Amino acid sequence: MNSDEVGVTKMSESDVVNEAEVSPITEEAFEIEQEQRSLEMERRLARRRRFLQRVQQQGLALVLIVVVCIMWVSSPYFMNKYNLLTAASVVSILGIMAVTETLLVISAEIDISIGGVMALVSVIVGLLVGHGLNIWLAAAVGMVAAAGVGAINGIITVFFKINSLVTTLGTFSIATGLAYVLSGTTTVQISGGGFGFLGSGYIFSVPSTVYFFLAIWLVGAYIARYTTLGRHIYATGDNIDAADRSGIRPNKIRMGLFIFNSLAAGFAGLVVTSELVSSAPQIGDPYLLAVVTAVILGGASLTGGRGRLSGTLLAVAILGVVQNGFALLEFSSYLQNLVTGCLLIMAVLVDQFVRRAEQ
Amino acid sequence: MSDNVTPLLEARGITKAYGNVAALTGVNFHLNSGEIVGLVGDNGAGKSTLVKTLCGAHQPTDGQILIDGEEVTFSSPKESRERGIEVVYQDLALANELSVAENIFLGREMKRSGVMGLLGAMDRKAMYASAIETLHSLAIEIKSVETRCGLMSGGQRQAVAVARAIMWGSKVLLLDEPTAALAVVESDKIAGLVTGVKEKGVGVILVSHNLPQVHELCDRVVVLLRGRVVTELHRGEYNIDDMVSWITGTALHKK
Repeated sequence: MNSDEVGVTKMSESDVVNEAEVSPITEEAFEIEQEQRSLEMERRLARRRRFLQRVQQQGLALVLIVVVCIMWVSSPYFMNKYNLLTAASVVSILGIMAVTETLLVISAEIDISIGGVMALVSVIVGLLVGHGLNIWLAAAVGMVAAAGVGAINGIITVFFKINSLVTTLGTFSIATGLAYVLSGTTTVQISGGGFGFLGSGYIFSVPSTVYFFLAIWLVGAYIARYTTLGRHIYATGDNIDAADRSGIRPNKIRMGLFIFNSLAAGFAGLVVTSELVSSAPQIGDPYLLAVVTAVILGGASLTGGRGRLSGTLLAVAILGVVQNGFALLEFSSYLQNLVTGCLLIMAVLVDQFVRRAEQ
Repeated sequence: MSDNVTPLLEARGITKAYGNVAALTGVNFHLNSGEIVGLVGDNGAGKSTLVKTLCGAHQPTDGQILIDGEEVTFSSPKESRERGIEVVYQDLALANELSVAENIFLGREMKRSGVMGLLGAMDRKAMYASAIETLHSLAIEIKSVETRCGLMSGGQRQAVAVARAIMWGSKVLLLDEPTAALAVVESDKIAGLVTGVKEKGVGVILVSHNLPQVHELCDRVVVLLRGRVVTELHRGEYNIDDMVSWITGTALHKK
């Protein structure tokens, strides 16, 4: 009787002890297992993310190599020093604008008025030179006008909080319209005063436009990669409230970017005017879509905060090869549009996949 | 916590009216260094209005705000930040595409010395080192300060936001619903972080709906009801049910 009782108490005691010992261990084991599982998942996601990022970054280089190879095989005239320099010179005009446009897109804005600004600047120069003004002074007036359009873009977008796509669509229309009205749709001959150097000069047998593009690109890439201003541009596009609360002035930054982008378009307008030796209101037409394509193809995201100038450089090079190659092969320019359109959509899709992998 | 000590932050008779509606009426509030004060109340009790008034986002209709016993007026959150009041908002105000270190230094980047500095170049190495040191001193575990914030969990991001506030020498840390969007484990980590911050002598105001956490963390709890301070509860002198009855106002009728 007694021994039974003792046995019972002993049993229950050992049970209690067991429970006290076992439950924390299993709980711990459970926690560890869960942690390991989530770590494993995290690692897998990270691997996927890295892969997609690599596709995004190195995919462009791959596309460039592929198009170069295709053109090399298809046309005997492609891999030729003079042809390549011509191609570079043509695409550099687009590149000049793509640099500032990339920075603007990183700040979550866009400017599609650039074609209009090019036309306006060209026509203003033509008009003033026609009235006997010195060509460089006329060019300076044109650049002031370009800065003015940029300032208007900035003021309307930043201070009246209008979507920049709408703002710049409006100013594009206004600038183009103004260019046609001022010129009376005629072209004016422009030459002399060394102005020709802008569009068709050579230094060490490399076209001047290539130097302009590379210089602007280097400055842009340096700002984006190494400077505090660069951080502030990214932060503005990424989270404008955060930027504002950190004491950055996102409005000032966006304002400045609009003005610089317009100045780049104005400069491109001068270069094209110099190249054609005449001013005309339709010179900006082919550039608008090409510039935006280069920026997006280069990986800059329209939602802001994302983009690299190395990507823009590669995208400009790709567009240059495609343009040049299609001209050499005597393909229709419509087919060229088709190909750049496909590239653009592919670039946007890859960007989407990267984003989804990050969520 | 003796009454002779000049409080870090004090609000006297704060009234805030929107037209005829009074959001706050004669609110007195103070915060000492190294103290965690909870601010609780039902929705619409005036918590967020008080927070916004203290950090300068709103200007009080009447009343004074004092920092270290000196009267101040803030016309914007920027001015309050200059005086050492840092708010960590619910949305954290982090740039997701930038790294941890870049976020901590956002707007206050270190420049390189010499010509490169004049050209606007950042001193990344120094920034990273300094960010690591700060995170370390707060016992925040983050694999790398080069990680983009967008890739981190809610709790880690919260920790980065708090670290940023602490790094810039704020004396008063205002946490607006810090754990509302967090998993339980992460929420516990934030609790640990807040305690660490307190030990550095920083005063913490914790606005939260998480009453058990407020009960556990706060030295003092100020309860707001319809724009007035109805009571102050001190650590160890109340339980969560008491707090609830003050928040809902039933404690008033019992008396």
